[in-house]
Amino acid sequence: MTDLTSRIEDLPGDAVHAGLIAVGAALLFLASPLFVQAPSGSLVFFEVGVLFVLYAMVLVGLNLQFGHAGLVNFGPVAFFAVGGYTAAVLTAEDPFQGVGLGLPWPVGLAAGVLAAMALGVLLGVSTLRLRDDFLAIVTLAVAEIVHGSIITFRDITGGTNGLQNVPQPVAGTTDAGGNAELVSTVLVFGAFALLFYGLFRRLSASPYGRVLRAIRADEQVTETLGKRVFRYKLVVFVYGAAVAGLAGALLVFYNGAASDTFFTIDMTVIVWVGMLIGGAGSDRGVLGGLAVIMSFQLLTRFFNDSIPFVTQDQFASIRLMLIGLLLMIIIKYRPEGIWGNADRLGVDS
Amino acid sequence: MEIPLAQEVIFGLVIGSYIALGAVGFTLVYGLVNMINFAHGEFITIGAFAGYLAVVVAGLPLPVGILVALVATAVVGWGIARITFEPMNETGAVPLLMMSIGLGFVLRNGMRVIAGPSSRRVRLDVATYRFDDLGFFVTSQQLLIIGLALAAVVVMHLFLSRTMLGIAMRATSDNEDLALVSGIDTRRIRNAVWLAASGLAGVAGVMLALSQGANPTTGFGQLLLIITAAILGGAGSPYGAVVGAYLLGIGITVSVEFLPSGLTELNATMAFVVLIVVLLIRPGGIVNTEVRTS
Amino acid sequence: MTLLDVDGLERSFGNLVAVDGTTFDVEAGEIVGLIGPNGAGKTTTFNCISGVIDSDAGTVTFDGEDVTTVPPHGLARRGLVRTFQQTRELPTMTVEENMLLPAPDHPGERAWHAVGQTGASREREQAARERAMELLETFDLETMVEEFAGNLSGGQRKLLELARALMLDPKMLLLDEPFAGVNPSLTNEIVDHIEALNDDGLTLLIIEHELETLTELVDRLVVLADGQVLATGTPAEIMDNEEVIDAYLGG
Repeated sequence: MTDLTSRIEDLPGDAVHAGLIAVGAALLFLASPLFVQAPSGSLVFFEVGVLFVLYAMVLVGLNLQFGHAGLVNFGPVAFFAVGGYTAAVLTAEDPFQGVGLGLPWPVGLAAGVLAAMALGVLLGVSTLRLRDDFLAIVTLAVAEIVHGSIITFRDITGGTNGLQNVPQPVAGTTDAGGNAELVSTVLVFGAFALLFYGLFRRLSASPYGRVLRAIRADEQVTETLGKRVFRYKLVVFVYGAAVAGLAGALLVFYNGAASDTFFTIDMTVIVWVGMLIGGAGSDRGVLGGLAVIMSFQLLTRFFNDSIPFVTQDQFASIRLMLIGLLLMIIIKYRPEGIWGNADRLGVDS
Repeated sequence: MEIPLAQEVIFGLVIGSYIALGAVGFTLVYGLVNMINFAHGEFITIGAFAGYLAVVVAGLPLPVGILVALVATAVVGWGIARITFEPMNETGAVPLLMMSIGLGFVLRNGMRVIAGPSSRRVRLDVATYRFDDLGFFVTSQQLLIIGLALAAVVVMHLFLSRTMLGIAMRATSDNEDLALVSGIDTRRIRNAVWLAASGLAGVAGVMLALSQGANPTTGFGQLLLIITAAILGGAGSPYGAVVGAYLLGIGITVSVEFLPSGLTELNATMAFVVLIVVLLIRPGGIVNTEVRTS
Repeated sequence: MTLLDVDGLERSFGNLVAVDGTTFDVEAGEIVGLIGPNGAGKTTTFNCISGVIDSDAGTVTFDGEDVTTVPPHGLARRGLVRTFQQTRELPTMTVEENMLLPAPDHPGERAWHAVGQTGASREREQAARERAMELLETFDLETMVEEFAGNLSGGQRKLLELARALMLDPKMLLLDEPFAGVNPSLTNEIVDHIEALNDDGLTLLIIEHELETLTELVDRLVVLADGQVLATGTPAEIMDNEEVIDAYLGG
């Protein structure tokens, strides 16, 4: 560890304190008549910024699951989607198609989290005894089932039309028009992301995290040393599900709508590639990795127009090719990622 | 219109046929290279395009086209595996699996850059044989697909039971350490596995090009069905994979009869439900292989 | 007093009967060796006792309590701790983390204490760290505290595994081939440690191939053949037993 990081760790507060202060400040800002308009031209950065902080929340859960406990969850988007759609169904008023109960948004938020946790418990109890590569398949399949169900049960979910008229609490409170709501959203969601980062960081840095890393290294030995391995795995799975469900609910409250296009396998790929680039198991590193991959996506957006002879479809394909190539290169040449610890992950580089 | 059960069974046999060829290759790789290859669908897509190029573009007769697709996909798949997976054979299941996900992205989108998203059909003159009394029909194309799959299964059986290499493969699949000790060259076996798995994927690709058309996601679209069939049959068991594939294919089409009309689109989704149920009730599949920890 | 009582233990894998009605007991304070030819069912017996695999029939009683169906973590907490044949250090964790992991009743291993960073967690961690250092000094590993366990030598890993098991303050240790692949001087060192632990009241059950070392160490031997107990007795009695000699030569 470098000097700087050890000095950061010596500070009297940690990310939980910072997160609590940030949440308080962001909510105060939201309640106040103050607002900030995003400078014109920077809009896209704020839009990506909202997505980044939401994906970051999913990723801190995923990193606890895979980076620390070694659980290969290839379906974070399933929990993200269940949280989002549960919130949307409960709170939408007069969606054009599908069910909208018009309940207040806090109810939707809480229910979104609970529904994602319930899926986590169900899936965890039934599959966490499988070998890790089979867990990968099952979680991936569950994500496909969830996505398929969203399309199929259109009487409830609105199918490919999605659900409209979902409340937008942040935008509603900002009430300034223009792009001020976008800035407020980034601030509020970002503050919550920081808080969750802090909470999960405390988990991973404690004796609790030590048990998780022991499970990653050797489940059987951990069990014979007196730890309830299965329970730890289940709980970690459910924590990750909860925070992913929360992020999904926040996403629909930001968009004022739910759509199956928010919840595709691309989301799973982005957070996984971000985690692997940053270095699984490094709490800060994975967020850095997510920033790298999302910046790559953002920057390549601007190139599209400037490259001749390439259609939009080809361009999108090339981008995905490059992400795949990046993943292959990382796995092969730097399996610990940029900021990960090779000894901790048990890989040679 | 009511579609008679016999007709659904025939549709199911067709679906089961290409799933079977995909699943056998997938399960051989699983059993002998110890990896879940998420790029297996892309090998099928390569076969679909190879078949299209051979039959439609080059104008070769279909049997030659199938052979071309088989050989081309076998060699390409083997070559890709040598470059990507073989050097990291010792790193364990999860890194290999992730490598294959990255590879799948590269291949799928690479083909999309070149070929575009649209589908290309391999069209044949199709004869339809009607059995109106029994209430079903079958086309020459369907018979071809089912026949090809059965032929491939017979060849696979002969290979696994009659050749030294095939017997060595089965031994390695049962116990790799023991196979090493008894002097079986596992590297040679892995080469053979990649060739066989990719070749079968190539044939499956041609079948899909015939029945649905070739596009960059042709194989990827079948991947979860293939995985389901392989697990249903018992991961690592080629015979189980064949049985699993036909059970799944027929199950998908016949369940249409019993599902409420609004839910027929759930078909593919149902397959994944089957997958999860199998893993819960009998994770070893039909032949009961070991997939639990410890 | 009988500490461990194994009664009629059975376990098969498919058609192979690995353990076929094994019955023996271990008195508190004893060192007992479990020996037998290859395939006699020693390790399977161990796995059944320690709950790593389920037994098909029979009972295991530890410290007066039926623990047949108790999972491994429960046995560890009751004071019955095992090691593995192949050393299983946790290579991606440091020596210190390996030692701190088993510390029983650690509040910091509960999410609430971990997130709240409670005083109870800190105190327990401090106490565990002191105990770990004591043990590491006993086993001459105190200079390796920060090293990743995967970087230790084979002998050091054996010692670490033993020290780590002691973090649980066990009543009884099950050691699976503690001398396998170990050089003579380290063998002597491990023997000394085992004798010292036994003098402090620890009961041990040891599987071993290396009979010469074992016979000097143990109070009693239990001989397994074909999943059943062939004979029990002092090392001297066993060495004179015709049946045992036949089993070893024949097996």
